[in-house]
Amino acid sequence: MESEFERLRKKVENYPSASAYNRLAELARLNQDDAEAERICQRCAKEFPRNGQAYVILAEIALAAGRKDDGLKHLHNAVERDTRSYAGHRLLADAYAADGNTGKALHHLRQILVFKPNDPTAVQKMEALSRAAGGAAAAPAMASSMRRSTPPPLGTATLTPGALATIPAKAAASPSTRTAAFTALCAEPGVRGAVVADNQGRVVVTHGLDGKADLLAALAAEITGAATATAKQLGQEQLASWLIEGERGQVLAFKRDQVLTLAVLADTGVRAALLELRARQALIDLGGT
Amino acid sequence: MQEILEKLNRVRGVGGSLVLSPDGLPMVTALRQGSDEAGIAASLGNLLEQATRLCESLGIGKAKAAQVLAAQGGLVVLPAGPAYLAILMDPSANLALLQLEARPFADRLAQRLSL
Repeated sequence: MESEFERLRKKVENYPSASAYNRLAELARLNQDDAEAERICQRCAKEFPRNGQAYVILAEIALAAGRKDDGLKHLHNAVERDTRSYAGHRLLADAYAADGNTGKALHHLRQILVFKPNDPTAVQKMEALSRAAGGAAAAPAMASSMRRSTPPPLGTATLTPGALATIPAKAAASPSTRTAAFTALCAEPGVRGAVVADNQGRVVVTHGLDGKADLLAALAAEITGAATATAKQLGQEQLASWLIEGERGQVLAFKRDQVLTLAVLADTGVRAALLELRARQALIDLGGT
Repeated sequence: MQEILEKLNRVRGVGGSLVLSPDGLPMVTALRQGSDEAGIAASLGNLLEQATRLCESLGIGKAKAAQVLAAQGGLVVLPAGPAYLAILMDPSANLALLQLEARPFADRLAQRLSL
């Protein structure tokens, strides 16, 4: 064990990577050196801020030591940085379920179903939670409705014909990997649907807009053009985002490079900062720079 | 109204402000020297027109506000009665705070414009 630990430590020094850090921290935990594991995770979090697993390990250490508040804080950090952190969502669901906060527990289990549809553990836990909440008769129906209401499985967010040509070649991941963050964005509370459009207003990928995707894509491209022109008038290059607020909803759009705009149709009062985080992740996954 | 805009310009993060009609004509401006007031107002008018079209098409009511954020700042547009108040933001601006602080100015302008 010790030699493996030293080998990994050298690897981390010479060729640092998030996975090597995670493995090193796990080995430190196996060696019962939680302090060292924490140091490794904190360093990893600094060097690889989007690595949610480091926060999961920190949370496990904190929870094992009885520091529940710290544990929850780390878990929230984990799922914020990596929306597909299975362990992060599962541990949060367990923690909230133990506290009797069924709503939040179900929320995190639903997040698991977004990127891992029909995950048996998550489904079972959802059924158990709903039974415990007094809905024994409704439990199976609830779980199945959760499965139905979960956004389509990874990759089934509609990637339109020709969209692959729009996406830069470096985004060589499978369609499911490309659209997972986008699907997670659409699962956020208050989000009615979203579309990624190219500069010509053509739909690249869409979710939940029920026939309005083409319209939103076209208008989003128009507004991106108008917003870019306005920003230039003000001497500002590199448009990053725009938001139009209506009386009964709002459209938020995020531009990552010169090609793609991600437009989100959402309720008023939705947390724009959180949506931006999710949208940026989705744009990166779709091949934005 | 000029006085209101000048006071607004003293809020941290505000780099200038103007009141414009919905069709993009400047009504009152307090922008930095050398700014192309007519050009900025026209661009904003175009943006507002597109925003109105977007809201109508998507069935989310009348356009209430808009934001454009760029790498070096951005702008916020708020309704001010029959007109719009556009606030130019410096890169140092705190968007949330600025919106909170700007709202009373927009209300005061709306009062003046409806007199």
